[in-house]
Amino acid sequence: MGMNDKKKGLIKMSEDKEQDPELIKIKDFIRDERFDDVVQIIALYLGDATDENYLDRLENLMETLLIQHGGRTVLRFLIEQLVIDLPSLLESLSKRDSVLRYSFLLLLKSFCENECDLFMPFIEDLINSEDPNIREAALQLTIFMAGGDKGIDDELLIKSISNKLTDEKEFIVEKAIQTLKVIGKSNTSLVSRVLSNIVKENAENEELKQAADLVLKAIVSVNQIEEIVEEELTESEIIEKEEDEISDKEIQLKKKKIELKKKKLELEEKLMNEKEKSLKFKEEIIEREVEISPEREDLPKKLKKQIKKDENEIFDKEIELKKKYIEIKKKKLEIELKEKEFEEISIQEREKTLKIKEKLLEKESELSHVEIELQQKKIEEKEKKLREKELEHAEVIFKELEEDKRKEKNE
Amino acid sequence: MPLTSHHLRNLLKDSQLDKEIDELTELMVKRINQLCFEDCQIDRIACTLQPKCRQRWLLKLRMLNKLTLDDMPKFCYSVHKNIIFRDYHNKTVVYKPTDSYLYTIDFLDVFFHGDYRKLNQYYSKKQFRDCIKIFKDRINNRDEHFQYLLTDKENFMIFKFEEKIHVMFLNENYVLSNANRDNITSVELLKGICELFARLYFPEFKLQLGFDNRIEIKSIIPGDILLKVSKEPPETKDDKIDDYFWNIFSSDLDALSQHCKEINLYINKQNDLIIKIHLDVNSSDFDRKNLLRYRDLRLIFNIIFRFYNDFYIIWA
Repeated sequence: MGMNDKKKGLIKMSEDKEQDPELIKIKDFIRDERFDDVVQIIALYLGDATDENYLDRLENLMETLLIQHGGRTVLRFLIEQLVIDLPSLLESLSKRDSVLRYSFLLLLKSFCENECDLFMPFIEDLINSEDPNIREAALQLTIFMAGGDKGIDDELLIKSISNKLTDEKEFIVEKAIQTLKVIGKSNTSLVSRVLSNIVKENAENEELKQAADLVLKAIVSVNQIEEIVEEELTESEIIEKEEDEISDKEIQLKKKKIELKKKKLELEEKLMNEKEKSLKFKEEIIEREVEISPEREDLPKKLKKQIKKDENEIFDKEIELKKKYIEIKKKKLEIELKEKEFEEISIQEREKTLKIKEKLLEKESELSHVEIELQQKKIEEKEKKLREKELEHAEVIFKELEEDKRKEKNE
Repeated sequence: MPLTSHHLRNLLKDSQLDKEIDELTELMVKRINQLCFEDCQIDRIACTLQPKCRQRWLLKLRMLNKLTLDDMPKFCYSVHKNIIFRDYHNKTVVYKPTDSYLYTIDFLDVFFHGDYRKLNQYYSKKQFRDCIKIFKDRINNRDEHFQYLLTDKENFMIFKFEEKIHVMFLNENYVLSNANRDNITSVELLKGICELFARLYFPEFKLQLGFDNRIEIKSIIPGDILLKVSKEPPETKDDKIDDYFWNIFSSDLDALSQHCKEINLYINKQNDLIIKIHLDVNSSDFDRKNLLRYRDLRLIFNIIFRFYNDFYIIWA
């Protein structure tokens, strides 16, 4: 039990009784820093595995890499050279015990910090995986990445992480909070904006509010609050902004539509060209048949062979053309589907604007109600004041009359 | 000066401060629960790789007080079981799981996976013969290597897997795995372990339970061995017998005296040296702290094994 092993947080208990010779070879090669060879041996080792023993082999391999000095480098090579596909590796490890899983994640720490570009393409999918262990692992990798040089500023990714604040598993919620806290340290305004938007969208979700509060309390300092308040817009400004965004999106959609139409035209042109070509070929075939057929039997053998060859080539080309035609049809269908999708999106966006407008109208009507009420109150107050004045006036007159009466009696 | 743990220890020693101690222990219970269920377990990665209590001893605290699985931090317990499993299979572990406690069913799951449900049923119904049948089958037909012993009063079952001792507490429904620094709590258990080791390592030395509730192990060093010991201190270490009796024997006796209740040395009529060792769960009457631990017993067995293997068996 060496001190170095202890530092890594892992202890090798006792000597393995029955060591796999392949693993011994791998260990020796790592020790000799023959990393390229190790990668090849590992590729063979995993490649030879059956469905039944693949996981065992993978686990043994991970065990070996975990305790070897240089294991991290090998793992990096394995991922870079696609011997190990990280998403499926995480999936496999999800079936194994937590000690191995988390030790493996630790092994990836420096890798995530320094080369997060390698993980970014699939991290969002992993965060949204059905398997909670994979979701947790992906969030942990995100924490490592956020602690690195580049940090994380992808709004969509932050949104996905924020959505995990309502995950059914408590430990995922906790991990998501941790992740957002780490990202928020360097990207406070972005995280707080995404969180406040999500909280607004789910105003009735108390758990989400609490989790978001925890994150915000951790990442926002007093000075930053002022900055964020400055950044925060009034409701009408937000609506205006959203309207702008929607109109931008509509413009983008239109652009995309135009692009699609262009592509469609191009494809149609291609189709036409191909058709023309096929017609030409057919014509050629007919011509040749006409030329060749009458004297075919008398032709020399070489020429016959040549003709056969040509015929075969033409036949192959015909098949190719048919294939191309089918592909073009497929593409057309795909384009149509995409068009439909875009139409749906534009409809959704329009619906959104309508909703916002409805909200605005509602608020306006509410405001007008309030104004009317205020005016009514003012009128009532004025009436009250008038009545009071009239009463005061009447009292004065009454007193004067009484005094007059007294004077008359006295006289 | 801030409040330190020393102050609290002093308070706990003061038996007159009952109410204060109650208050303090309540605070401790709250804190422990918060630590286990909230602070530690909520982050599973940290809980697995860096638990907030040393080697998960708070699990042990709960188990020894007979709390059920419902009162356990479940994820922490699952990792704990996992670590024992990995250690048993010689895989990398975060820490060496010595003196670890498991519920009986989980111990059976780790060490006798294929039969664990059956075994658990037999144990709960105290059908030990059926359990032993399974163990025999595993040893004889399934190439498994372990030893076991059911104690006289059937309160404990002791297992030995390679060098590791596991003690099943049959009435408490838990098992002490990788027994090492824990104290041996009963004479029945002590006798059981001695019998198991004697059976394996020094079968011809006599072992008995005395009237004073002590275990007596009688080791013999034959007279003809003693005759070969030179009368002058040896100059080299070449002669094994000379080297042992002149250089090591005294330190062995010293080690034995630290952990044994009593040691008698005498020469019998055949001129053999008899070393009688008396063992008790309390190795000293005067010091209550000096309880016999599993690791102490292992040291004693090592010395006896040397008497047996190096001098008794070969020369007898």
